[in-house]
Amino acid sequence: MNKIIVTLLCFFFFSGVIKAQEENFAKVSDIKKAKTNLAQLTQKISTIKSQFIQEKHLSFLTENIISKGEFYFKNPGFLRWEYTEPFEYLIVLTDKNIFIKDEKNISSFDTESNKMFSEINNIMTGTIQGNIFNDNERFTVEYFENNQQYLLKLVPKMPKMKSMLQSIHIFIDKSDLSVARIKMTESSDDYTSITFIDRKLNTTIDHDKFDIHK
Amino acid sequence: MINSTSINKLKTGVPLFIIFLFFGCSNPYKNITKTEFAAAKISEIPYSLAKSEKTLIYKTSIDFYQRNISGLLIIKKTDKQNYRIALTTQFGLKVFDFALKEGNLEVVYCIEYLNKNSLISTFEDDFKLLLMQNKFDRIYTLQNVEEKYKAWGFQSEKMSYYYLMNKENNQIEKIVQRKRNAKKISVSLYDYRNNLPSSIQLEHHNIKLKMNFKRIQ
Repeated sequence: MNKIIVTLLCFFFFSGVIKAQEENFAKVSDIKKAKTNLAQLTQKISTIKSQFIQEKHLSFLTENIISKGEFYFKNPGFLRWEYTEPFEYLIVLTDKNIFIKDEKNISSFDTESNKMFSEINNIMTGTIQGNIFNDNERFTVEYFENNQQYLLKLVPKMPKMKSMLQSIHIFIDKSDLSVARIKMTESSDDYTSITFIDRKLNTTIDHDKFDIHK
Repeated sequence: MINSTSINKLKTGVPLFIIFLFFGCSNPYKNITKTEFAAAKISEIPYSLAKSEKTLIYKTSIDFYQRNISGLLIIKKTDKQNYRIALTTQFGLKVFDFALKEGNLEVVYCIEYLNKNSLISTFEDDFKLLLMQNKFDRIYTLQNVEEKYKAWGFQSEKMSYYYLMNKENNQIEKIVQRKRNAKKISVSLYDYRNNLPSSIQLEHHNIKLKMNFKRIQ
């Protein structure tokens, strides 16, 4: 019984914190300055190594579905998502290809043939490189901030993407101008939130990390 | 190279093949003694997957002709005969979200390229079979289908659905859907842990569609 109460308290406490986090943001008054700051994302960051926690919220479930793993980024557009929990699953994205290793099977697609993956790829690399904020053709972007973070609210313009995603919220820490959290809300208010913790910027990452066969 | 021996083999092979074809298409449960089973006792059928109120998460791979869709399948019993069934990609984006209400499937969401009537009705058949939600006219039990199984047969106007329980552990291990005499869908459920199958394979026999589920929660 106590366990249930503690769980419930934690749930209300943390959901309260998350809500407050988003509510504490005010519209950025000096957008030019924010853009200049964010442009440094592109210039300063050549690699990112981070742990991530992915939370999937579905309206019909009381608990979120949690996945965890390691994330690697290397300029210009190499990404490695290495899921370790609840099971091992590896995704490597390069500029032209997507490789997936599921158990021992490796499959590959070109980004053109798999639009959904290529969109996610664009969002991730675009966010990290900073050019997604200037992508006025595909998104309307609103800028918010509090003392610790910038919050960029992206709303897709293209009908196909709109049918999949209502908005993308990108939380960027002001301390190191790196992405701390991405929240993708679907048209039905279900969302996926990916929080990047223990981020290490500009360390050496062996290029083998982006070769799925190694 | 074809020689006379192989032609002779062929000659004996053809009738055998025809016999095989004949029996392959016939319904193996047709001539087995059936005992009427009251529909009110349906909850006595020990099919834990359909009864569980836990959030069930299965790592899923769907092979449909040349396509492969993979992700996490979430099954949640929300009410007595109501379920939500959603498939998300590894990144969390939803592929589909269905509500199965008293044997009728409603599409809450479906990604555009899968949102075709024929495919949705196939998914409907699959999940209704998997969660024992098909409408039926009568239920009967079948004895000694195979030595180790006891079976329940659900009969409707066009379809029959069979749930086979292993008598040693009282677990449903096979499910078959037949249209008249042809096997349409078969399901194998393996490796029960905490009274739920850890692995499920679902296969269509008239179209190239296979699903594999491995339980992670």
